Amino acid sequence: MAVYKRGYQRYQGSLTGRLARLLVLPRFAWQRLMEQRLVIIVMVVSLFWPLACAAFIYVSNHLELLQGMGRDASKLLEINGTFFVIFMNSQATMAMILASIAGPSLVAPDLANGALPLYLSRPLTRTDYVLARMLVLLGLLSPVTWVPGLLLFGMQSGMAGWAWFSTHWSIGVGIFAGFIAWILLVGLVALACSAYVKWRIIAGALVLGFFFILAGAATMTNAVLRVDWGSVLNPARAMDQIWRALLGADPLSGPGAWTCAVSIAVMALFLILVLERKLRPVEVIS
Amino acid sequence: MSPVIELDNLRVKLGRREILLGISCRLGVSGSGKAIGLLGPNGAGKSTLIQTLMGFHRPVAGHARILGFDCHKQPREVKARVGYMPENEAFIAGMNAVAFIRLMGELSGLPQEVALEKAHETLFHVGLGEARYRPLGTYSLGMKQMAKLAQAIVHGPELVILDEPTNGLDPAARVRMLKLIREMKEQHGMNVVLCSHLLRDVEDVCDEVVIMKAGAIVHQANLEEERRANRRFVELEVTGRDGGLGEALHASGAEGVSEGRWRIVLPPDFELERLWQIVAKEDLHVHKLTHRRDTLEEIFLKAVGHLAHTPGDAAAAEEVTTHGRL
Repeated sequence: MAVYKRGYQRYQGSLTGRLARLLVLPRFAWQRLMEQRLVIIVMVVSLFWPLACAAFIYVSNHLELLQGMGRDASKLLEINGTFFVIFMNSQATMAMILASIAGPSLVAPDLANGALPLYLSRPLTRTDYVLARMLVLLGLLSPVTWVPGLLLFGMQSGMAGWAWFSTHWSIGVGIFAGFIAWILLVGLVALACSAYVKWRIIAGALVLGFFFILAGAATMTNAVLRVDWGSVLNPARAMDQIWRALLGADPLSGPGAWTCAVSIAVMALFLILVLERKLRPVEVIS
Repeated sequence: MSPVIELDNLRVKLGRREILLGISCRLGVSGSGKAIGLLGPNGAGKSTLIQTLMGFHRPVAGHARILGFDCHKQPREVKARVGYMPENEAFIAGMNAVAFIRLMGELSGLPQEVALEKAHETLFHVGLGEARYRPLGTYSLGMKQMAKLAQAIVHGPELVILDEPTNGLDPAARVRMLKLIREMKEQHGMNVVLCSHLLRDVEDVCDEVVIMKAGAIVHQANLEEERRANRRFVELEVTGRDGGLGEALHASGAEGVSEGRWRIVLPPDFELERLWQIVAKEDLHVHKLTHRRDTLEEIFLKAVGHLAHTPGDAAAAEEVTTHGRL
């Protein structure tokens, strides 16, 4: 019978489980994000560098193609932790741009249009809501970060052979763990900025501002106080230092990886605190 | 049968201010398909109470239970059984109504295919069938209210909490909304909590009413019982010398008080025709004769302290006094 003829009937069947309900939000959000042209363009652009890196790996494993360059070429084209740190830095920038575009559209409209009471009147907690939104960003940023990273690592392992893999396997782990940490940080920044300003465009600018302003503050602190610990204020540089430690590349001057990890953790806690204060179904003015 | 809502010394603070001051009551019976009206002046704590029931505020003391589940300790169990229509504008930007209701259904635990089917079904039910593929942002206020109602009932909850559902509706839409609410309880067996400033809406739809003032419950009445207990109040407007009417009424077993117009309490077996006869005997001309009982407005005004007593109370008191004299 046609729906309009049947009339409303109360649903009496079984309900889905908690995990299924949690995945509903990411599914709808991905569907809507994939309808945004800008998101698609940035994602496609984000894959240019991994393709270039793949070509680089291919060439470095086929040195006969570069016979004219002499012996130094093989050292120049060595695939190691430093190579992947460079790859990660460029992809992290693309991930940040992508998060600044997609992230605010996940939370700011919900707050601006009063949708949060609707979500939270369902069997869904605030933590579930944040988790679901983080899953959206995890799903969106993974194809431009750790997925191509691990593909490149796999490609290099396949071409260089077992010997290379057995001595460099930690790079694969580092790529995955490093990018996941970056996605979490970028995701928290995007969600917290959106929750704070509730305006999509401004929130997008604030996400980029968070990284650039802190980078500026870090440089200023180092210059004014003639110290090097100011670098921990720069999330991108702090993360770079952590990645270098994970991938076994030469560390940057300044605070070590553990100090940087603590700095990132403090930033993450601050962002979670912002989310805790701002993501409420009803605003209480004390 | 457990009560629909059970409050036990419920105290809620927002910031430093205590909004709910230890409320205790038991409202409704689960599965009975009754409506509970929540009334009170602005700032009485109605919305805070609803939001606490929905788990949006943490009580500082006491308990709130819905259908036997603690709102704070068992929020998932509560929310799986409740549909909530918030007072303020609430929608998801850039979505059409079908997608919106489907999303809400799936979040409530409906399987994907069922949620889509129910979304269509519910939108037709609330009268948005033709507009269901339009983005919610383009809806009028009345349509948004209907969409909010649809999302509250898409999963077939046992209890529907409606916060000012007729806000901003034109008279026709208001009538339709009230009809839908009545259908929800009468045909679908849902319990309804209706929070409204419009006493007429509550009187039209609700079986039970709770009146709040300054964070406390000041009155609780079973409207259904009051309707059933027809105390046969009559208001009579006459012209002529009505000095003997009181005595005549008294002699026939009825009691009347004149305050410009006569307010008369008829005994249970008193036929109205007899009243006409008395009036004719006294040579009075009847301008108006109306049956009346305590309106919700009078109950409300009395409860919040804007009226010393209701006419019903006055008549009842008179009746008691008269009987005492007899």
